[in-house]
Amino acid sequence: MKFYSVPIEHREHIGGYTLFSYRWEGPVEPGQFAMARFGRFPYTLDPLLARPLSFYDQDGEATSLLFEVRGRGTALLDQADKIEVTAPLGRGFDVNGIDGPCALLGGGIGVAPLKILGRRLEALGVPYDTFLGFADAGTAEISRDFPGARVATMDGSAGVRGTVLDAAPPLEEYAAVYACGPNPMLAAVKRAADGFCQLSVEERMGCGNGSCNACVVPVEGRGYVRSCVEGPVFEAATLAW
Amino acid sequence: MVVRTSAELAVELCGIPLRTPLIPASGTLAKEALGEARDVYGAMLPKTVTPRPRQGNPPPRVAETPAGMINSIGLQNPGIDRFLEDLDAYDLGVPLLVSVAGDTVAEFVALCGRLADDKRVSAIELNLSCPNVEHGGLTFCAGPASVAEVVAACRKTAPDKPLLAKLTNEGVLGNAVAAEEAGADGLTLINTVPALSVDPWARKALPGGLSGPAIKPVALRAVYEVSATVEIPVVGCGGVSTGTDVAEFMLAGATAVQVGTASFVREPAEILEEFAGYLEKAGSPARQLTGGLRGYQGS
Ligand SMILES: Cc1cc2nc3c(=O)[nH]c(=O)nc-3n(C[C@H](O)[C@H](O)[C@H](O)COP(=O)(O)OP(=O)(O)OC[C@H]3O[C@@H](n4cnc5c(N)ncnc54)[C@H](O)[C@@H]3O)c2cc1C
Ligand SMILES: Cc1cc2nc3c(=O)[nH]c(=O)nc-3n(C[C@H](O)[C@H](O)[C@H](O)COP(=O)(O)O)c2cc1C
Ligand code: FES
Repeated sequence: MKFYSVPIEHREHIGGYTLFSYRWEGPVEPGQFAMARFGRFPYTLDPLLARPLSFYDQDGEATSLLFEVRGRGTALLDQADKIEVTAPLGRGFDVNGIDGPCALLGGGIGVAPLKILGRRLEALGVPYDTFLGFADAGTAEISRDFPGARVATMDGSAGVRGTVLDAAPPLEEYAAVYACGPNPMLAAVKRAADGFCQLSVEERMGCGNGSCNACVVPVEGRGYVRSCVEGPVFEAATLAW
Repeated sequence: MVVRTSAELAVELCGIPLRTPLIPASGTLAKEALGEARDVYGAMLPKTVTPRPRQGNPPPRVAETPAGMINSIGLQNPGIDRFLEDLDAYDLGVPLLVSVAGDTVAEFVALCGRLADDKRVSAIELNLSCPNVEHGGLTFCAGPASVAEVVAACRKTAPDKPLLAKLTNEGVLGNAVAAEEAGADGLTLINTVPALSVDPWARKALPGGLSGPAIKPVALRAVYEVSATVEIPVVGCGGVSTGTDVAEFMLAGATAVQVGTASFVREPAEILEEFAGYLEKAGSPARQLTGGLRGYQGS
């Protein structure tokens, strides 16, 4: 994979998440992702592989990523003045032909692709409601970047107490449901939505371009399918969860 | 990306002319990513194919270690029928090698039978690191006898196709000699190294194969010792990530070199470019590097 070096132009810490932006005009579809590395090979061999991160926003000039420091890879990215990226990768959310109101559901760092998705829906004139679930008020701080969003926290320290589904009305009211978050949350959204519903899944990745077969998810009737090329966004009904 | 150089990159492997000594390691280059392979590789080599489609293992399938990755993909592939239907996608105008694996000697033979007269296929790589169901799940690399049995049987079935036996590091010398005596035309050394990753919080283990820069010294040693012992050409594989890595493997005795894990983190064209730079400085054509070491450090 070819990686491109991009200087980080803006960095902000919002409630435990890091927001990065760099100059790149795209194009990028909501739900697509980048593979990001701290340094050019071979300057870092631990970790060796790049990390998948969803695009948070793209305003025609600057592109941004939002991430949570989980382990060594994201900790190194958090300190970088310049990162190596390859993008845009994968298949994003399908917003074609949607005219009714949409529900956008994010769990924790799964809020990441919802910002750019909201921007796209606005451009198309499609109304939508955003529902965000977090562990606590600290991580919920990012919700200030989602005006009008309804928030739930597991400990009740912000918004309603419970999961993101506790903050949302019955999902049948919506013409389309889009969600991103931990797999158990996505499985719950799939059960709660009976219409058009798309989920952005998270699996460990090796390459990001279809070559290694690491990132698979089970798809009805097709066995394991690579989420980096056929996803990360899948139609909920096709996932064999 | 076309690498411009005055260096002579071409080599010959088992009578097959290769424009460059680089070959993608089986299982590390998908059809979707062939764009970056154009003008870089001397031959194509898709993921190992088995007689029937294989689902592979449930995720998670990878874990990381310093300078390496552990994978447990489980040979997910569409099976030989679909594979042959789609094979033209791998035609980049360079020789095509096909990697095969079976659960039994009979399955290896059946696969070689399908490929023996296929004009698109320049050579067959036997992936002998897969479990041999008739021998309690030990791999075909478990010992010289099982290597000899499968290589000899494939040799008979595909008398006119060059056969490369791909071996793991364990017992590599004895297995290499057995493969040569059984009629292999070349060897690919090495497949991934058995390894384990442990997540202490979840208390879960992921057994799999280690690849990447971490295994390079192990692979170099295998190439060095085997190429000093056998007459047939050796293809080096394991952690090749830079142009000097390619030179190191060739000096240690390799005729050509495979690139796997490194292609996930950099563009293979950069590796070729660096290798060309090395050749220009060394004033040597690629084909003259093979086995060109001048003794041990300090001597
Ligand atoms: C398509 C896609 C988009 C993503 N978008 C974002 C994003 O926008 N922002 C963001 O913060 N994160 C995102 N992620 C997750 C992000 O890639 C991981 O958090 C990151 O790779 C962790 O790397 P690390 O080196 O920091 O942690 P590691 O050291 O690799 O892991 C830390 C811990 O997390 C566990 N772990 C690692 N990977 C996973 C996983 N995939 N699932 C569950 N546990 C895991 C490890 O076992 C370990 O215990 C995305 C993932 C995918 C597949
Ligand atoms: C994700 C992945 C999948 C692999 N699949 C195969 C395979 O199908 N057949 C095979 O012979 N080797 C397979 N290998 C092993 C590689 O071909 C190679 O022998 C090994 O990774 C060492 O080389 P590297 O360090 O350059 O990756 C795989 C390796 C990786 C990392
Ligand atoms: S991450 Fe390698 S195939 Fe998807």
